[in-house]
Amino acid sequence: MKKYPSILFAVLLAAALVLGSIQGRRISRLRDSEMFYRWILAEATQYRLFPGFKAPGAEPEEQNMMDRPLFREILDVTEKVLPGQNVTDEKGNPLKKLIAVTSDESQDKVVWDVVRSGALAKQQADFLKYLREKKLASVASEFDPNAVYGEQRANVGIGNIFFGFRKVAANFVWLQVDRYWHQGMEQRMLPLMKTCVALDPSFVDAFLVGAWHLAYNATAKMPDTPEPLKKYYPQYGARLGEKELYYYYAIDFLKDGIRKNPRNYKLYFDLGFSIYELKLKDYPNAVIYLSEAIRHRHDLWVPRQLYIAMELNGQYEDALAGWRDYLTKFPDNTTAPRFIERDKALINEREWEQALERARNARDPAEANATRTEAERLHDEVLQMWQALAGSGAEEDPYAVGRILRMKALKLIDEKRYLEAIAVLQNAWSKSGSFADEALKIIIDVKLKAGIPLSVSEKKAVMRQQEAEKYKSMPPEAGK
Amino acid sequence: MLTGHIRGPWTIAVYTWREGMRKKTLIGFLILSILVIFGSSFITAFMTETTVGEAQTDTQVKLIKDICVTAISIFGVLITIFISASVVPNEVENKVVYTILSKPVRRFEYLLGKFIGVQLIVIINLVLMGALFCIALYLRQPVAPTLLLWSIFLTYFEFLIVSAFTFAVSCAASSAVLPTIAGLFIYITGNLTEYLKDVANRAGQTGQWLDQTIGYVARGLFEILPNLQNFSLRNQILYLQPNDPPRDVLIPNLIVYGLVYAVAGYIIAYWVFRRKEL
Repeated sequence: MKKYPSILFAVLLAAALVLGSIQGRRISRLRDSEMFYRWILAEATQYRLFPGFKAPGAEPEEQNMMDRPLFREILDVTEKVLPGQNVTDEKGNPLKKLIAVTSDESQDKVVWDVVRSGALAKQQADFLKYLREKKLASVASEFDPNAVYGEQRANVGIGNIFFGFRKVAANFVWLQVDRYWHQGMEQRMLPLMKTCVALDPSFVDAFLVGAWHLAYNATAKMPDTPEPLKKYYPQYGARLGEKELYYYYAIDFLKDGIRKNPRNYKLYFDLGFSIYELKLKDYPNAVIYLSEAIRHRHDLWVPRQLYIAMELNGQYEDALAGWRDYLTKFPDNTTAPRFIERDKALINEREWEQALERARNARDPAEANATRTEAERLHDEVLQMWQALAGSGAEEDPYAVGRILRMKALKLIDEKRYLEAIAVLQNAWSKSGSFADEALKIIIDVKLKAGIPLSVSEKKAVMRQQEAEKYKSMPPEAGK
Repeated sequence: MLTGHIRGPWTIAVYTWREGMRKKTLIGFLILSILVIFGSSFITAFMTETTVGEAQTDTQVKLIKDICVTAISIFGVLITIFISASVVPNEVENKVVYTILSKPVRRFEYLLGKFIGVQLIVIINLVLMGALFCIALYLRQPVAPTLLLWSIFLTYFEFLIVSAFTFAVSCAASSAVLPTIAGLFIYITGNLTEYLKDVANRAGQTGQWLDQTIGYVARGLFEILPNLQNFSLRNQILYLQPNDPPRDVLIPNLIVYGLVYAVAGYIIAYWVFRRKEL
């Protein structure tokens, strides 16, 4: 070989290039698997949380999309591959193994191992084929599929050739959004926010702040839409006006963020807390998304908000169990003991109301007496609990005060002392903000029941309620 | 014997590093990158306070991260290309190479020393920029930036490939201009290699021989040429969760990838240099 050094170098160079090529292929396969793995995580989240949701921009009538058929195929294959039998969710409902595994962030490695094992080789090949052919509805949106699942390949490089300028561009667009917000030009912000997340789908804060602008700031100056002017939107299953539609735009925006960043708790938290709990008062959905938020790496206050949402949704036992668990983990927390007592009181209060109802409906006088005695006992017990929580002076807890007055009013109503009950409720209305809406509702009910004339504002509230009920009962087509 | 083989290249490497660090252009690039990295903290000042306090901080951190990673990429690659393209041609031009090679130093050792010297310069610049980046980030969010270090580490292996091939071109050139242009070309085409795959996938649809030939050529080039897009994981890494399984597999593979192509680049460089008439 010393005689022919050029041949030696040629062989060495060829060997290095072949090795490089082999390694390049390996990386290419890994990156394909990575894309597929990330898609499975995103699709599994969608499948579990919002099966009917379509990406913004995707036409509902698109027929040839292959997401769900492909994902169902994957579900079937993974049923045989993944360990475990008869997997169920927290409520005992049967669950596909892949859905169970993907809902637990600590098991991501299991999913990745399955993807790399070759058990899903056919599905991965199909995925890449559909991706090229743009046949995946979950990615066939205004957003580039490559930008979502294979960010590193950013439409085969044009964006990234300039050193990943796309992300920087997204930041500068965001600065402009911020400027518009402070200039009060909310409507100008909206298209820019979409541009921002199109440029950088991992820009979670753009999704969060964007949804906040949509649900709160963009609609702040708009009046509530009167019922007759609302239209039925089948995709949301609700009658909405121009203002209310923005809330659902915010939901879609956050769901789109979740699709692209399924492991980020903030998106679930904002959807559950800011939109469903605070804005729409839709507590069942708030509990769903806040429960999802705590599945992922989260901040300390996230479970606290979940337990509060559970309480608002009437899941007192779940909230109580949650707070107890929280206190075990963080014994120094000062909020948890208070909420534990509060949930205990709420459980007992509910039992008291049920006993009162049973006593009212009992036909047998002996049974009625026994139930009433039981109700009396519960009443005293709960009242003591609320009184202990209520405190006094500057440390007075308005929530507990509201509950005490509510109990007092309900007892007076049970004794048919309506005028006194109304007086108590009016007192409660002014003292406890959290009880104000319910107090007004009970006042109206009592007045209607007792034939007491309604005030003007109460009449308006009744009319609004009747109008909402009228349209709610209409078939969707009639409201279109 | 072995110590002698190591000491020679190492002395040349240290000399190259000292020489390189004195270059005004290099210092200029470094100062610019430092200005941009520190400037990123001030750019966030353009964001007026919103009521979403935490999101505000996160957005500022993201802004700093993106700008700094981009600055490191731009200035880092410019430093890499500039230094890789100039070390050998400058010595040939100044005739220093004759003095060195007249001593008992083999061309292989000389070239290895030069290459290691270039890498020392690149690494030190990267460490400097990375450290400033970490400080800028730490001032905004006091959390140890582990993922950031991985990102910078990966950036180096991307630069290593660019450096090796630019160095190879520089061994054939008599001035630094051509290798500098070639270095930029290598960086840009290295980032466009993914297009070749796209061309190969789409070719052959008409069934014409030319169409099919283009497909084969594109496939062949895609297989052989280094694909710098693979290193874009460095941008992605900053926003991944701490327990991301694909990342843990990809990083070692990318390191091996960078090293293999660096060896290929060095072989070409030596092949060219050993036949060079000096």
